[in-house]
Amino acid sequence: MSSEKHLHPVGMLVGAISTLRRWISGLVLPGVFLLVSQGFSLWTVTLFLLGVIVVAVLAALWGFLSWRATTYAVTGNSFRLRQGVFQKSERTIPLDHVQSVDTVQGIIQRPFGVYEVRIETAGGGVSDPDASLSALDRDAVQTLRREIEGSQIERSEERMGPTILRRLSTRELLVAGATSGQIGVAFSVLAIGFQFLDNFFPEDFVRRLAETLAPNWLMVVLILVPVGLLLAWLLAIGGTVLAYTGFTLSREGDFLYIKRGLLERREATIPLARIQAVRISEGLLRQPFGLCSLRVESAGYGEDAGVSATLFPLLPRDEVGEFLAVAAPEFAVAPTLKPLPRRSLRRYVFRATFVYLIIAFAAAPLSLLVLQSALGLLAPFLILPAAAYGWLCYRDAGWALEEDRLVVRYRSLGRKTAVAPRRRLQSRGVTRNPFQRRARLATFLAEVASGSGGSALRIRDLDAGAAETLAGDLGPGAHLERA
Amino acid sequence: MKGGPAERLDPRAITLWRITGALNMLPLLVGACFAALGLLRFGDGSVLFGVLLVLAVVVLAGVVVGVVPGMRWRRWRYEIRSDEVDLQRGIFWISRTLVPLARIQHVDTRQGPLQRRFGLSTVVFYTAAGPNQIPELSTPIAAEARDRIAELTREQDEL
Repeated sequence: MSSEKHLHPVGMLVGAISTLRRWISGLVLPGVFLLVSQGFSLWTVTLFLLGVIVVAVLAALWGFLSWRATTYAVTGNSFRLRQGVFQKSERTIPLDHVQSVDTVQGIIQRPFGVYEVRIETAGGGVSDPDASLSALDRDAVQTLRREIEGSQIERSEERMGPTILRRLSTRELLVAGATSGQIGVAFSVLAIGFQFLDNFFPEDFVRRLAETLAPNWLMVVLILVPVGLLLAWLLAIGGTVLAYTGFTLSREGDFLYIKRGLLERREATIPLARIQAVRISEGLLRQPFGLCSLRVESAGYGEDAGVSATLFPLLPRDEVGEFLAVAAPEFAVAPTLKPLPRRSLRRYVFRATFVYLIIAFAAAPLSLLVLQSALGLLAPFLILPAAAYGWLCYRDAGWALEEDRLVVRYRSLGRKTAVAPRRRLQSRGVTRNPFQRRARLATFLAEVASGSGGSALRIRDLDAGAAETLAGDLGPGAHLERA
Repeated sequence: MKGGPAERLDPRAITLWRITGALNMLPLLVGACFAALGLLRFGDGSVLFGVLLVLAVVVLAGVVVGVVPGMRWRRWRYEIRSDEVDLQRGIFWISRTLVPLARIQHVDTRQGPLQRRFGLSTVVFYTAAGPNQIPELSTPIAAEARDRIAELTREQDEL
């Protein structure tokens, strides 16, 4: 079909830089050590610079050699990749094993208008090879796509090019960042940053700074906490902007295409046939505004196979049905959910308050006596909000089985709704502990494939009989019995 | 959901679990003894405290070796039906798991060194969401179960 092709020459640069990256960690330490131990004399600086130049030249040479050695071709029914300067390797992937052809435009590729192409294989096998081509220009990407997908999609005259389903506007992007709830993550990043500063500057400096800024600890808390929160919030917005700028979801036939990213432009393909479940997530900051985000669990997909992918980062909750009807119709159901029996409320509240109860009854006296601190006395005051959270979890929990699709709603901080078709469930389970047995309750659990492992749809404390019936109704035989 | 699964594990499993339980408890017991000795030698704690610590570990080990294996064996049931595999297990948390044969990707049997001495094997079957297992079947029965699952899975695929 086509002859051996080289990558775009930018591939040399990409190769050189990735080689440098690999070497640098081994070179920085001796280099810095040399400078520090010998002092900044002319001799050491020259030696250091010489070392840098030698390494750069070697990396460039290696980049060129590996570029020359890398060729790819689509011949007959397979994709072939040849690589390796000294140790030659040849990898052949049958075209019908190719699951998707994704592109990523990194910071190096971007100025040159070239793309990294990742060929992902199906089968979920760890041993199945994936191939990555570090630099191809747009034409080459399109040619390769056509050659690979052409063999899969025979009705080529029906291909109109992907239709754009939804695009994230700048306003939505900022709202998504502001409500992302990633503050916790950003906060820990900040904490590490502060710790780094603390280690980096002399101890004296930090203390003096703290003393001049705030004369007593109350002021420190009053100033540092809001400032830290604000910084974390801005960091969370920044992270969202980096990842989701220009988020565009389009669909062509049975494939969804996602484009996103500010510095690194990513294009990913999700075959509809591989989506196992859809999760609608209404975060704590989003639910009050009627907003949510959508994720898909997809099987054996992508390099980071362990995680689910964002289908759309911000969407009004009442547009979800409409959105899914065009994007992934198999998952567009909005049944009325069955609530849990009233007797499970007690278990929900108990589960939420359990830890605080222990602290209140055991740790509070202990902290008074042993640590001489009144901090433990705060625990009882945490019981009330924890109980309220337990009540919320109970109220939001619900499930339904409609048209062969299992819908489960639950709360873990934010409210989540998961939808999975019956034929995607890998296993169903019903678990009861002694307390549940006494209250005739059970926990139902259905597993779907996600990444290289599984992900669960769980209903806690539903009626034991209902759990058994549900497990039966979702079984392979039930389908025929009803028909 | 139909009635519970019918088949039991091999009774030799109880002895095997007693041995593995004892092996697991051994480091804890040794650790507790050392801690008690340390308390006696260097701490100003009373003898009672050290004795209590060791006693607690001994009682725990007694439960793990003496009581748990029997309860676990009595609870463990499995059944390979024409359309799904049914598993039931657990002492406090009793779980029942149903895995449709059509979802099973492959199935193996495996045998650890201790299992080999007892002539026992574990059947492990994989779905796209991960492995499930039926432990401690006598080796010929495990091989039979493995072949039966493989056979039935093939039939499901043809349907």
